[in-house]
Formats: sequence, C-alpha cells, structure tokens
Amino acid sequence: MNFKIEHKPDFSWLTVEVNRGQKIFVEAGAMASMSTNMKMTSQFKGGFRRFLTGESLFLSEFKAEGVDGEVTIAPGPNGDIGHMNLQNQTVYLSSSSYVAHTEGLNYETKFQKLSAGLLSGAGWFLVKMSGTGDVWFNGYGALMELDVQDEMLIDNGHLVAFTEGLDYDIIKLGNYKSLFFSGEGFVCRFRGQGKVYVQTKKPSALVHWADGYRRVEKSNN
Amino acid sequence: MEQQKINFELQHRPSSTIAICHLPPGETLVSEGGALMALKGPVTVNTTTHQKKGGGVMAGLKRLLSGESFFMNQYQSQQNSQIWLCSALPGDMMIHHLTGQRLIVAGGAFVACDSDVVIDLEWQGMKSFLSGQNLFWIKAQGHGQLLLNSFGFIYPVQVEDEYIVDTGHIVAFEETLNFSISKASTSWIQSFISGEGFICRFKGRGIVWCQSHNPSEYGGLLTPYLRPKRK
Repeated sequence: MNFKIEHKPDFSWLTVEVNRGQKIFVEAGAMASMSTNMKMTSQFKGGFRRFLTGESLFLSEFKAEGVDGEVTIAPGPNGDIGHMNLQNQTVYLSSSSYVAHTEGLNYETKFQKLSAGLLSGAGWFLVKMSGTGDVWFNGYGALMELDVQDEMLIDNGHLVAFTEGLDYDIIKLGNYKSLFFSGEGFVCRFRGQGKVYVQTKKPSALVHWADGYRRVEKSNN
Repeated sequence: MEQQKINFELQHRPSSTIAICHLPPGETLVSEGGALMALKGPVTVNTTTHQKKGGGVMAGLKRLLSGESFFMNQYQSQQNSQIWLCSALPGDMMIHHLTGQRLIVAGGAFVACDSDVVIDLEWQGMKSFLSGQNLFWIKAQGHGQLLLNSFGFIYPVQVEDEYIVDTGHIVAFEETLNFSISKASTSWIQSFISGEGFICRFKGRGIVWCQSHNPSEYGGLLTPYLRPKRK
C-alpha cells in the first residue's frame, strides 16, 4: 500500500492510498480527511479488555469502493508517526500508540505482565500486531528506534513499541531511596535482541508540569 | 593522563530535543529527577540530596525552592554507557563548557552536569521574590560541562553595555554581568496591564542565553482550564 508521512517529526500526518476493494483499519477518531468513495464502518475489537483499558472499543475500517481512494490520518498528540512492514512477524505497541494497520495483520489486545501493568503506569494492556502487512504507530515528540543487543532500560512513559525477541520486566532504578525520590521510580528492562521505539516526550511529564499552574481553592468545610 | 569526558549528543532539535550522554568508564553524570528516558550499559544509580562535593539536605531544600527537584540522581558508569535525558516542555537544549568562570542558571533550566561542575543555589534577594520568579537561581562553577533546557529555542545575546530581558525568558547568564530586576515600565499600573511584569536589566560584558517562550505565560494560559486544587 502506498503511503506518505509528512511534517515529521512535530506534526506527523499519514496519508494512505487505498486501492479499490482494499481496506485499512484505523484507531477510532484518528481519520482527518478522506476521499468520498471511502466507506467507513466501525469494527468491534477486543471487547472487555479494551473496555478496561479506557480505549475505544472500536476500530474504524475504511474500504475503497469502486475506485482507489485515500485516507489521511492524524493521531491525538503532536508528534511523530512510525511505520513497520511486518513479514510474518510480531510487534507489540503500548495501547495509546496504535494508529493504523492493513489487512493481513491480526490485532490483539494482550494483558501485560501483572507487575508491568501495576507498576509501570503504562497501562494494563499492549496491542499485539502479528502477520504480514503495514502497521503505523505514533509518539508524543519525536520517535527513535533503538537496537537492543543485550540489555537496555527504558522509562515506561517513553515506551512506544517493541519487536518480538525481546523480553522485559519492571525493575526499580537504584536503591529504595531512588525508588521514591529519584523521580524515575520503575523502569522497563528489555533483554534479548530486537528493536524498541521510544518517544522523546511523555504526556505525564507535561501534566506534572501543568499541575503547578492549578489554582488553589479553599474548601468550604 | 587526562580523563575522558562525557560526550553530550543532542538529537531532534529544536522542539523534541533529547540529550544522549555518552559516559566513559568511571565518569559520573548528575541529573535532575524525572529527566531519564533510557539507559544503556552498566551504571550505578544513586539518589541523594547533595553532590559529591558537599551540600546535604539544605542543598536539596534550596533546590526545591528553585523549581528543581529536591533530589539529584547520580549515574556512575562502570563501562561505556549511555544515558538519555529529556525535558517536559517542547524545546531546545544547550551544552555549556565551564572553564573556571561562573554561570547563573534559571530555575527549571538545569538538566544535568558532569562531576567537575559544582552547582549551588543562590538566593537572589527580595527583588527576585517580588518578581514572582524563582527565589533561587543555580550557580554553576568549575571546569566541566552543563546541560540546560529551554521552552522554545535558545538565543544568546552578547551584552556589551546594557540589555533588558523579561525574567521568564532567561535560561542562563555569565556571572560577569551585573543584573537588577525591576518593573517593565516606570509605572506599576503600566507594568501590570502590559503583562510584561518584571524585567532583568543586565549591565557589563557577557552572554545571556534567552528562551523564545516563557513557561509561566504558557502555564498561566492553562490555569482557567485546569481543575483547582482544594485545600
């Protein structure tokens, strides 16, 4: 499928040309514009698990009817869009970074390891994409691809995606004092061989900063 | 033999800037809390209120007042390692080499430094308090490298005689400059309604690094949309 990602990395924006009769699946709400022959239907995906994650229960399916068409897709946060072409491979995405995928890929919602979901703050679920096709994902800020050969620690708030062949667990950084006071807390430790995608900004850091600008009201009681 | 130093590599400038700090064996990086993005290589992490060269709890308390975190993280590498640092707001970063002279860094602009830089907090007096800006600025000295961040891009201004910068736009300045904080206009009312508030008047010779955007202006814009805290 032909596609282009423009205005990288700050305002990345994806345009996909969909050939007649083909389909593309997109995160609900991420479609920005499209040609008139594109027919949209909502697909129920993931069920109870997706309900628990707070994500939309639906994916939007776009099908080019009659002639070729195009869809432009803009994710929620200002930032970059990444692309992977999978050839009978698997990639895991953090639940907020999924953008779109083509036919031939299987979309599944996976429970994270209990400790990972509990401690990482990155959510309980991962999106598992497997099969053959294209997948797009987004990050807040720029996206960076890291080759993990042996071991690497990643702040979970920066984690976007990782390939199979990597195993991860959650560890605390430094001693117990670091756990509470370092401002870092728990980090994901990736081991094995594969690729990890990270985003250069994290939403929670912005929110933490903005928290300082909240008004303070006296409660009445 | 001269010891190898940390190599700071900036990527994705100017809006999504991160710093990849390449540490040679045995080198220590001191960084503010919450800035870590990724880490590669064998590194021991230690969280303390002070730097190796003194400080203690008081230093931590003072840092808190400057808008920085109370605790500092020390990353010491056993072998070659990488520490990736980022900032909360969109903006640029800069590397500053200290060669004995002092640099004053605005609260919030400090990201990290190597172990040859000594950072301390400096009370800027009542004039600073009145300006609504941070009470403390960070004073950095020694022979080493400092990593600073900004909101927006950074522009250096070579002051030859006198120059005026809005207090919220200051990233850092050389200590060779004298400064005084005052209202933007001679009249209090004019200063207030103009929204310019307080300005910093630099005198002497030296460089001021300014940031294109003012974080507290942006934060103030958000205030009406944020749910108030209850006390």
